[in-house]
Amino acid sequence: MTKPLSRRDFLKVGGVAAGSAAALGALKNVMSAKADSVIKTASEEKFVASTCHLCSAGCGIIVRVADGKAVKLEGNPMHPVNQGALCPKGQAAPELLYNPDRLTSPLKRDRVTGATTPITWDEAIQTVSQKLNGLREAGHPEQAVLMHGDTRGQMRSFLTRFMEAVGSPNTISHESLNVAAAKLGMYLTQGIYGLPAYDLENANYVISFGANLLEAGSNPQRTISGYTFLRRGRATRGKVVVIDPRQSITASKADEWIPIKPGTDAALALGMANVIIKSGLVDADFVKNYCFGFDNFASGGERKGFRDFVLENYDPIRVEQMTGIPSTTIARLAGEFAGNGPAVAIMPGKGGLLNGGFSGVYTAMAVHMLNALVGSIESKGGVMTQRYMPCVDYPKLPSDAVAKKGLATARIDGAGSKFPLGRNSYQSVADQILEGAPVEALFLYDANPAFETPGGKRFADAFAKVPFVVSFSSFMDESAELADLILPEPTFLERWGDDHIEGLGYPGISLYQPVIEPLYDTMNTGDFFLKVAESMGGTVAKAFAWKSYEEVLQFRLKDIGADWELLKELGVWFNPGYRFAKRGSQHWIENVVGSERLNAPRDGYFDLYSRELNCFLGEMKKDELAKLGISQSGDGAILPHYEATVFQGDEAQYPFMLNIVTLMSLGPRSDAANMPSMQEISGMTVRETWDSWLEMNPESAHKLGLVENDRVKIESPFGAISTKVKLVAGLHPDVVNMPFNQGHTAVGRFAKGRGVNGLEILNPASEPLTGLASFTNTRVKVTK
Amino acid sequence: MTDWCMVIDLEKCVACQGCSIACRMENNTPVVSPEEAKNGREMRWNDVFPLPVHLGPDQGEYPNVKMHYSTRPCMHCKNAPCVKVCPVQATFTDEEGIVRQNYNRCIGCRFCTVACPYGVRYFNWFEPQWEETLAEYRNPDQLVVKGSLEGPAVRPVGVVEKCTYCVHRLVKAREQAKVEGRDFRPDEYVPACVQTCTGKARFFGDLDDPDSTVSQLSKSLRATHLLEDSGAHPKTLYLAEG
Repeated sequence: MTKPLSRRDFLKVGGVAAGSAAALGALKNVMSAKADSVIKTASEEKFVASTCHLCSAGCGIIVRVADGKAVKLEGNPMHPVNQGALCPKGQAAPELLYNPDRLTSPLKRDRVTGATTPITWDEAIQTVSQKLNGLREAGHPEQAVLMHGDTRGQMRSFLTRFMEAVGSPNTISHESLNVAAAKLGMYLTQGIYGLPAYDLENANYVISFGANLLEAGSNPQRTISGYTFLRRGRATRGKVVVIDPRQSITASKADEWIPIKPGTDAALALGMANVIIKSGLVDADFVKNYCFGFDNFASGGERKGFRDFVLENYDPIRVEQMTGIPSTTIARLAGEFAGNGPAVAIMPGKGGLLNGGFSGVYTAMAVHMLNALVGSIESKGGVMTQRYMPCVDYPKLPSDAVAKKGLATARIDGAGSKFPLGRNSYQSVADQILEGAPVEALFLYDANPAFETPGGKRFADAFAKVPFVVSFSSFMDESAELADLILPEPTFLERWGDDHIEGLGYPGISLYQPVIEPLYDTMNTGDFFLKVAESMGGTVAKAFAWKSYEEVLQFRLKDIGADWELLKELGVWFNPGYRFAKRGSQHWIENVVGSERLNAPRDGYFDLYSRELNCFLGEMKKDELAKLGISQSGDGAILPHYEATVFQGDEAQYPFMLNIVTLMSLGPRSDAANMPSMQEISGMTVRETWDSWLEMNPESAHKLGLVENDRVKIESPFGAISTKVKLVAGLHPDVVNMPFNQGHTAVGRFAKGRGVNGLEILNPASEPLTGLASFTNTRVKVTK
Repeated sequence: MTDWCMVIDLEKCVACQGCSIACRMENNTPVVSPEEAKNGREMRWNDVFPLPVHLGPDQGEYPNVKMHYSTRPCMHCKNAPCVKVCPVQATFTDEEGIVRQNYNRCIGCRFCTVACPYGVRYFNWFEPQWEETLAEYRNPDQLVVKGSLEGPAVRPVGVVEKCTYCVHRLVKAREQAKVEGRDFRPDEYVPACVQTCTGKARFFGDLDDPDSTVSQLSKSLRATHLLEDSGAHPKTLYLAEG
């Protein structure tokens, strides 16, 4: 038996070895990277280009497939959004693909017992087509509803077409939870319903109004690429200013962080406009010749224009009182912005604008108008208008009488009727159902409304009233748990799909292709709907004459300039180089300003006085406007202005505003919470992992007698939850933050039971004019 | 003589943590349980973290606050303390300036984890585990030098592991050049973290070549090392913010 080595002996041995220079030399010889190194690797290896689907950026990826397994993702250097880079979510994507909690076959769920049993795809197809045919026979195809998440390529038009072929206008996007407010801001001013693209690479001065450029904005990797180029990629670096109540990573990386009283960004933007106008720094050519409503107008000037309105109401001294930002700072920012062009003001893609009132849209308008004042619309270093690849039109929809009748009905989510300005009101579907709206079949594609909406638990009650709920989720998430049929889609690494490339202005297509054979008995939802259409027969089958979703893509993308084989090889195809339209040109009128207005003239004028909004609010009396939460009347209601946020919860009782923050790591999608590496790095900024937390200013915490990691109860008028507190110095004393995508009660072993979901105690109401969700108008109290 | 070196521009770094996970996926470092994570036993050879490391009064008071973030691979020191203390010469500096680890020799004494001023040596407290199907995505590469394992194939319990500047990628790139019958170019090889960096904040190359990007950047006025006074002569360079 060998004697155990004592510590002393052990050190002796070590000392002898380390002391011997000769031995060390010999060892070095043995171990150079050049000589005697043998690298063993997979016997078969290939690299497949595809696209990441873990956030709204849609980065190009190159997947290393070794012996039939997807082992590593790299950014696709050809892809203009990420240029070879890849964020942690994309890097961890194999954890999604090989996740042990994935659904492996279609399931049927018994509502009474909650038990699930596997079914065949044929059975699923029959069940769904019978249900839809039944609705059509009953003459109510509109009672089929589809809610979807982030579908950026052909899938969106494909799903819409399917629902329209059936006869339902109810294809409801989740955009009312995130980008719709910004899109409306753009629509009501520039007349384009879409997110603006920003030419960060050429900008000299960037001011972000709460846009989370570097973490989880509307297109994070695009803004990171632009941002770092602006900072250190070129000879002269641009200045970046971030307006945000919280010192986000974006704010901490910026030249200047300006904490603001939450919900007052519109006042700041208009205060800056006031200084810019007063100082004569406006782009006179642009505001006089290409804008509507800068000066007072109508024959005798009896209608108020933007200039007089702003000069009368938004003196920096007054704005200081509204925003808490010193008037000298406001004046300085305005001078810097107007005097150091090209300058661009960026509105948030989500978050801050969704404060439950129309004021969020006013904010987006006011911020976007700053760009107009300094002539940064459609100019180098300013705002670009996103162009899209031309796709081959679908054949004309062969709708029958039933479908036509269904399509003529009002949308179930109230878009266009209850919410006259809204295009989608995702979260209000639950409210409509609970109020008695007839929904017979509900499809959830890439959607988990029971988790991701404020007060999402009400979806459980809503689903109980819908006889037939189908989820296409790859995971058993909170909403799939309530569905009757769970028809798992393969992960994005196993299926066909595409994305329109956004954020750079110029058009492009990014392709998803199966990098490996699907692991389980799953089906691309596109293919599923094609089979359902076939089984339904009649006009629906006629509308979908393709054999597979891949064929649909081939058909739609025929004219982009690359053939299918080339597109598969490169994974991406785009027409680089954004060409700015000349002011007032035909191109300008057709693509840049005003071309998507539904009511106001499409005359190429940028609206500083929104004629489109005037079509909705112009006739309203003061009391009608007051019902919509708009305190101004007449021209004041049309012009962008600051409306104080109407908080839920009395300030004395509930002193803090609760803000839900999306993180780079966990991202916007529920399934990412079940990627263990994302859980492990989730709370890097506050040194927390695998849990939720509440960020609070140290002074505020001190007043409440709280120290780091104390468990606290967070109570709003809508409920109470409990988590631990983290002290964050860079945070407005009246604001508390919680991370999004923690607190799952389902999805999988890594996501389930990690802290609490702050959305549960947010105001579930929808904004009355647009149907936008309310994310930032709930007050809470925090107690030990 | 080639001297591989990484330069990290902290101004371009956006603290996205892409490097941490790229490293994990490339080098097969396992996820540890939430309980072990609390004990600081996470296995991320390249970590991203807020500065200052220890919370203190120097964070500033609202609104005069400026948070900083940093990222930290191995410094591949020229006078590496970990190499000096290793009793069995499991860790060594190779002739191209990479501090490497021979997992067959390592006895898990953890002298090096204590000696390292940067805390970038990680002890395998447990048999590395990937739950069920998660094991499928592990990198199949296996660097074997004279019969000794050097990763990225999974290391056994009880050894110390570390960032290798993805040396297996270097060996692979050289082999590729050999197969194609041409000379190896230094720009054919970058570690996984450099390749994935979302902010293009990381640069990699030969410090010995005066024309390389890293040599040029090393002359920047912003160039600095982490804990310059540690005596370890760290090599990985940072470009300071500002």
